[in-house]
Amino acid sequence: MSRAATVMMPPAPNREDIAATWEYLQAGISKIMINLQDGMDMGTYMGIYTAVHNFCTSQKAVGLSQAGSGAAHRGAHLLGEDLYKKLIEYLNDHLADLLEQSKAHAEEALLTFYIREWDRYTTAAKYIHHLFRYLNRHWVKREMDEGKKGTHDVYTLHLVQWRTQLFEKVSEKVMSAVLMLVEKQRNGETIEHGQIKQVVDSFVSLGLDEHDSSKSTLDVYRYHFERPFLEATSEFYAAESTQFVAENSVVEYMKKAESRLNEEEERVRMYLHQDIATPLKKACNKALIADHSTLLRDEFQILLDNNREDDMKRMYNLLNRIPDGLDPLRQKFETHVRNAGLAAVSKVASDAEKLEPKVYVDALLGVHTQYQGLVKRAFNDEPEFTRSLDNACREFVNRNEICKAGSNRSPELLAKYTDVLLRKSGTGVEESDLDAVLTQIMTVFKYIEDKDVFQKFYSRMLARRLVHSTSTSDDAETSMISKLKEACGFEYTNKLQRMFQDMQISKDLNQGFKDHTKSLQLEKQPLDSTYSILGTSFWPLAPPNTTFNPPAEVQADLDRFTRFYKNKHEGRKLTWLWQLCKGEVKTSYCKSQKTPYTFQVSVYQMAILLLFNEKDVHSYEDIASITQLTPDALDGALGILVKAKVLFQKPDSAKPGAGQTYHLNYDFKNKKIRINLNIGTKSEAKQEEVETNKTIEEDRKLVLQSAIVRIMKARKKMKHNVLVGETISQIKGRFVPKVGDIKKCIEILLDKEIPRAS
Amino acid sequence: MAATEATTIRLQSNDNHVIDVDKAVAERSLLIKNMLEDLGDAAVSETIPIPNVTEPVLRKVIEWCEHHRGDPPATNEEESDTRKRTTEIEEWDQKFMQVDQEMLFEIILASNYLDIKPLLDVGCKTVANMIKGKSPEEIRKTFNITNDFTPEEEEQIRRENEWAEDR
Repeated sequence: MSRAATVMMPPAPNREDIAATWEYLQAGISKIMINLQDGMDMGTYMGIYTAVHNFCTSQKAVGLSQAGSGAAHRGAHLLGEDLYKKLIEYLNDHLADLLEQSKAHAEEALLTFYIREWDRYTTAAKYIHHLFRYLNRHWVKREMDEGKKGTHDVYTLHLVQWRTQLFEKVSEKVMSAVLMLVEKQRNGETIEHGQIKQVVDSFVSLGLDEHDSSKSTLDVYRYHFERPFLEATSEFYAAESTQFVAENSVVEYMKKAESRLNEEEERVRMYLHQDIATPLKKACNKALIADHSTLLRDEFQILLDNNREDDMKRMYNLLNRIPDGLDPLRQKFETHVRNAGLAAVSKVASDAEKLEPKVYVDALLGVHTQYQGLVKRAFNDEPEFTRSLDNACREFVNRNEICKAGSNRSPELLAKYTDVLLRKSGTGVEESDLDAVLTQIMTVFKYIEDKDVFQKFYSRMLARRLVHSTSTSDDAETSMISKLKEACGFEYTNKLQRMFQDMQISKDLNQGFKDHTKSLQLEKQPLDSTYSILGTSFWPLAPPNTTFNPPAEVQADLDRFTRFYKNKHEGRKLTWLWQLCKGEVKTSYCKSQKTPYTFQVSVYQMAILLLFNEKDVHSYEDIASITQLTPDALDGALGILVKAKVLFQKPDSAKPGAGQTYHLNYDFKNKKIRINLNIGTKSEAKQEEVETNKTIEEDRKLVLQSAIVRIMKARKKMKHNVLVGETISQIKGRFVPKVGDIKKCIEILLDKEIPRAS
Repeated sequence: MAATEATTIRLQSNDNHVIDVDKAVAERSLLIKNMLEDLGDAAVSETIPIPNVTEPVLRKVIEWCEHHRGDPPATNEEESDTRKRTTEIEEWDQKFMQVDQEMLFEIILASNYLDIKPLLDVGCKTVANMIKGKSPEEIRKTFNITNDFTPEEEEQIRRENEWAEDR
């Protein structure tokens, strides 16, 4: 369009002449609208401002539109409406002109045109706003104070006119140019995205609140920019992803989707308005992920099988972006871990009888560690995945091939492994690592359903470690107990703690006894003896299943201790657990040895050996009658002495028994000076296991009955099935009760008439 | 805009006197402030014509601006509201406004033109205080106004405004 390159300013107008004033102003405004780049001098600036001021303050101005009625309103009416209307007219002309010009442009050229004109127009608007400040301050303010809609301050007026006169007619074309540019960029071309940013800013600026021009809304931007932008985005990615999936692997697709999603986020940062971030993400998530979610999920099992951690992480991150995207993954994960656990157990279960506790626990732990690591690294350590892991672990820890033999196997083996760790023995576990290994034990323990079984075995083995003082360290023992307490509460570890305390009390007691013995000033050197006082109700120990007549030397010390103890604690009954007693005897008869051998023996063996102080040969019957041991106990004790060649058995048949005689071996030889003869037999251990399992069943009945009684006491009256349910929920922490067992227990209690049926 | 304090601006009154003034002082006038912003640094070197103000009035206005150069900008709506509600004028401004009536009205017109709202307020308050508590006759005397109402007109106005009378 041809416009005068420079606008000549007419002379300053007479303040009362609207026509002259407007002519002057129009020349100034045109200069600003079209030729601002040429600069503007102070004179013109002040001239325009002054013209507006003078017109508005003129006493006798006669407006064009109010020629007749102007005089009547003078004083109350602020002059200015005419100027305002003239300005609108001017703007409309200018914008109509721009609209015509815009038709000559398309695509990128249109963008350039739009942005250039927008810039020019808004800059001019700022000037004119200032120059018409007097109008703003008085006439416009009054109009707005009076609540007249459609009157805006001069700058806003510019925007409103732009929107109605130009924007609404070209926005679609501008937008399609923007979208084309974006598509080019998505296809890898470099574009000048600054232009898009400017278009966005322009669209946002046009969001004017009709009711309050000081506020802005994003309505215009949302309708004219966001909506088509999102539509185009969805369309683009729907097409692209469908094609890509058809030609590439799922893993490749995930990478593609990931980079596309990042790209779009970057796009928002680079040149879009922050307001689009959320809906754009949603649109992309739908087109790129949700629409392909089945495909992705189907791939998950393959990734799991091949342990493709990075790809699983990718999949997690993708599906995490859509609602309910991860649930199917969690289910697959849970099944997979359960199967992995079962497989790991099957591998080591080939010989269930000889299964090493460590091997079994390691197999369980291995699977747990592996998948916990996966959860942490690939699944963001998400609680929901951890729950799936826990479910799976609970399944394969409690129900696997090993447990088929008996559901108590898992807790039993775990307790046994703990015993191995806590017992002085060559496990190869450094004390510094011990606590870490114990923590791992607790990991498995957490999944054990029959925690009472573990408790049973653990307390038996703890008793043995304490009585035989074979614990690696007190610290490790207390650490383990406090771990169990933390997991199951005070009641669970109460007895364990009391056992520990008993040992401590016994230590002090022995010191007292030693001092007491010294004070007696006995003629004969007393035995160097140690006694442990174990509270009957805390220790899982049974009295000996044999009669026994201790040797005189022992008996004397024993009597002295008994008197000492009863003196301290009147009315307590002491039962001697002979089967747990042990001692050392020093040999003085071996010819070949300068330093005498020391035998570590059970008290039964001691009683037998001491007989040989009198004479070198004893018959089986003699030994039996003097020691009073039952054949079972006697045979075991003798068997080991014979096997170690401390004694000779004649005739040399395999088993000790009536009619045989025993001879002291003067030619006894051994590499070691201290020889441990106090070895338990395999059958004993086996028997103990069976016994422990038997007590578990009996204890459970008692636990169930007491739980039932407790519930009935609290509730007084209850429906049968509710009672069963309540009982299960109370007992669950210890073991999983069978409904049948509960019913049986209720019947037992009914027979005793504790609750009454009605 | 760097070194705002140091820049000096030349203002030219409509009777062609040029007055040098610190930019920060001149910018108490929103008109000048906006203009300098719009036209940019290059414009600072030019002399700014003030076509509606005579030299004595311009000097007076500048004197006020000098004194109030450090005042915080009163853009807040609430603040200007409280200022409107009270007729109290700070001491310096009271003294400043002790000028003949002619000058007082010139200052008010100039501050309106130059867009110096606080000065406009002070001027209007001063006039308000001159009216306060006076009878119409006294007011006429004060401002040298000839009564051009007929007695009937006057009576009607008095009745219409009865409610506002101080009793």
